[in-house]
Amino acid sequence: MYEVHSPIGAETIRPTSLAANLDQLDGKIIAESWNGDFKGDVTFPIIRALLQKRFPRLRIIPYHELPYLHGADDPARQKQLAQDIALRARELGCDALISGNGA
Amino acid sequence: MRPAVEAEKLGIPSVVVTNAGFSALARITAKGHALDDLRIAEYPGSFGIDSADQLRQRISDVLVDQIVEQLISHLAPASVISTARSTTEHANPKRIVATGSLMEIQRYSAAQDWTDGLAIVPPTTARVEHFLRFVGNAPDETIAVLRPGNRCATPWSIAVNAVMAGCEPFHMPILMAAVKALADPRFNIGNMGSTSALLPFVLLNGPIVKALGLESGAQLISRGANPVIGRAIGLIFKNIAGFVSGQNYMGTFGYPLVFTLAEDEAGSPWESFAAERGYAADTSTVTLGVTNNWGPAPSPTSTSETSGAQVTLDVICRELLKKKRAYTFPGKGPNAEKAMITVLLTATLAQSLHAAGYSKQAVKNYLYENTRITLREFEWITRNTTAKERSSLRDKAAAGIFPPEYSGAPDDRVKLLSGPEIIHIVVCGDPHRNRLMTLEGGHAEPTTVPIALPPDWPALVAQARTSYR
Repeated sequence: MYEVHSPIGAETIRPTSLAANLDQLDGKIIAESWNGDFKGDVTFPIIRALLQKRFPRLRIIPYHELPYLHGADDPARQKQLAQDIALRARELGCDALISGNGA
Repeated sequence: MRPAVEAEKLGIPSVVVTNAGFSALARITAKGHALDDLRIAEYPGSFGIDSADQLRQRISDVLVDQIVEQLISHLAPASVISTARSTTEHANPKRIVATGSLMEIQRYSAAQDWTDGLAIVPPTTARVEHFLRFVGNAPDETIAVLRPGNRCATPWSIAVNAVMAGCEPFHMPILMAAVKALADPRFNIGNMGSTSALLPFVLLNGPIVKALGLESGAQLISRGANPVIGRAIGLIFKNIAGFVSGQNYMGTFGYPLVFTLAEDEAGSPWESFAAERGYAADTSTVTLGVTNNWGPAPSPTSTSETSGAQVTLDVICRELLKKKRAYTFPGKGPNAEKAMITVLLTATLAQSLHAAGYSKQAVKNYLYENTRITLREFEWITRNTTAKERSSLRDKAAAGIFPPEYSGAPDDRVKLLSGPEIIHIVVCGDPHRNRLMTLEGGHAEPTTVPIALPPDWPALVAQARTSYR
């Protein structure tokens, strides 16, 4: 009989929780963030039109008005770019963000 | 995904739009960036291969509802992260987590996704402690923190994985250094879960190569201790860095074993790879590199002008033109070298072709008719990439080995393949992904034999699962 140990490394970080949900979308401001991949130039306009049809007072800031995040293979730069996008969304008074496309 | 993580940290609720099958990847990545959940809207198809009409329909029918729901009624974080591997139970690394026979330990380890599918050496306390003698650090000292899981690599956890891989204890210094390389930002380990199947490889330089008898010559990746060192890195990737098969380790067609090279410094007329990086000849080094393992896996993408099915066919044609063994592809008959081309297609791509009206045979016919090359280019390949070729294209055409068109003018574009029958199609890989691979081979043809099962096969299998120990 063998008695064995786990090969898994111990976690080192304590994650934080998500932001609070929105109560509704109508009247809110949502920013788009596109990473340049997987046809976001096609999908975001479709999403935008459908959301605005459903919520007439919703304002959407298109992805080309936010900093562009793509192709950064330096982890520190990736993080900085992501933070820049989030900070810009906050400056613009955004209530929410849609980020894509992942695959 | 990362902007959503950072926005959530600023108090801005954010939803990530992903392709089908990528929610777990996004959640695990978010967790690696210190966010315990993620709002995800999963597109029920493939962005890459779907047509504009399909994109519009699926976004309208499914995706927009998900986006709205995620932003206004997302469940509390306590209910999530069931997909990410919990390490709470591994907080005490010296705890015994399983007891059993050799086969029971194999099955347990496989069930936990701790292995690469091959048998492991059971990491017992005695073995792990023996390995630790070859390290100058305390067993629980943090050597590095590895993304994407942000997990701690200690001599203990490295030794457990090294034992499992079949290493010798004196391989530990190599693995300790390799872990530091994995953690270096230049290696960018966090992006190694790509569906294109990036695979690390190990390169050794310096006196340790000779001292430990590591292989730098013929068949080096599959001889001596080279394979087990690479295998240990592969296990560390999964178990310490936190890559989980099918969740954030997304290679569409999977991964072969990590391979290990040692440089043939004595045979090289130049300075070594390590010397180029400033290391003295008496310093041993380990380098971690990356390769697209067993070949590129392009992802055909539909455009406004061209359907996904058409792009897929044209991508395969172009892939075949790049093959090293292309010089054998036109040969036919008893005097020709055998050629074999296997095309791996994900279910997404196969369904796209089927929906466009293509049978398997029709795909093969298309590839045969449309994979074309100029005779000038083909002759260059033949002359410069084969050591044994004596006859000209015209000779081969005259002998009936190559088609008659191979005796044409240099700028003639001829069919590269001898016929559709040398193309074989297999549907496999991540069904959500629009990727393909083309495998070339030669000197053989696919040889299929039925598998004979003994009587009472189901009972025998069930019995073996419980009593073969």
